[in-house]
Amino acid sequence: MKVKVMMNCPLKTPENAHLLLDYCARQLELESMSVLERHIAVCSACRNFTSGQRTVWQAMDTWEAAPVSPDFDRLLFRRIEVQVSWWDLLLRPFTTVTLRRGLSAAAMTCLLLVAGILLESPVVSPVPVTTGVMQGVVQVDTVQPEQVERALDAMEVLDQFSQHLRAERPGSKL
Amino acid sequence: MVERVKTGISVAVATLDFDAELMLRVKEGDGASFGVLLEKHRTPVVNFLYRMVQNHAVAEELAQEVFLRVYRSRGTYEPTARFTTWMFRIATHLALNALRDGKNDRLQERLDDDSGELPVKQVFDRRPSVEQSMVYEAKMDEVRRAISVLPEKQRAAVLMHKYEEMEYSQIAKVLNCSESAVKSLLFRAYETLRARLAHMA
Repeated sequence: MKVKVMMNCPLKTPENAHLLLDYCARQLELESMSVLERHIAVCSACRNFTSGQRTVWQAMDTWEAAPVSPDFDRLLFRRIEVQVSWWDLLLRPFTTVTLRRGLSAAAMTCLLLVAGILLESPVVSPVPVTTGVMQGVVQVDTVQPEQVERALDAMEVLDQFSQHLRAERPGSKL
Repeated sequence: MVERVKTGISVAVATLDFDAELMLRVKEGDGASFGVLLEKHRTPVVNFLYRMVQNHAVAEELAQEVFLRVYRSRGTYEPTARFTTWMFRIATHLALNALRDGKNDRLQERLDDDSGELPVKQVFDRRPSVEQSMVYEAKMDEVRRAISVLPEKQRAAVLMHKYEEMEYSQIAKVLNCSESAVKSLLFRAYETLRARLAHMA
């Protein structure tokens, strides 16, 4: 950090006041340090500031934090384990590699099926899933707004579920 | 000097990349990388939280929550900022919430209860006299009290500046404010501390 204008006392120019802190922390460039040193030599306010600041930092140095408990990691990993186990329980039926690979396709199929069930209108055409899962089209003759809302909700839940499944890979368990 | 600065910058960048890289490995399912991050940042995070809430048990509880959140967020992690900035933002958020939620209601009580927790052990190791121990404890207690009366944001800024040696820009990102606001926070905080601790010169 370079002190550009040192004609004014840093304490009288609020935007430069931090320079005194940087000076005390020896975070200024050599050139700036010497400029400030020359100023401090003739400015009693800055001299008081720097000596007071050094006192504060020396006092703060005496405040050492307690060492971390030896069982910190054990407790943390137990908490992580509990969460991971919960997900494992939920995902146990979907843990085979084949299913994982086709996870997005399966989730999309489920999504379409649930959407079809939820729509449940008297005249609903069969869900025409074509070659690609992403190309599935649902043709509905009569759809009520509530039905659409419910379907969208279900889609969102399934999407989140699918994201969680992707996030939980086999090696992620600690 | 210039070389030293350059080396410092490259070290900082390397550190940034290393932590972010580790976190990206965690994202890919590498649990061991999370262990490395934990090993590296456990003590700074616990110490920062301890100095914020001034209770060791609460600090460790909060630190566990920090690392749990880091682990839980691995799936959505993107290295858009320094890893430490992100982690300390979580830590500061939790500490400020804990203080506001009233976990500091018995702060004064805890200050008294905890006052001998560490220093006694450390001072004991150095085999000081009883008077030295008492002087040391009294000094530390004064520092703790002086910091505990600072407004929460000032306290967080001072702790990150002094003990974590963070730059203004990084503190600004953690506290979600401008760099000039951080400078102002620090200036006011140190002003208070200078007034309260002047007699310790």
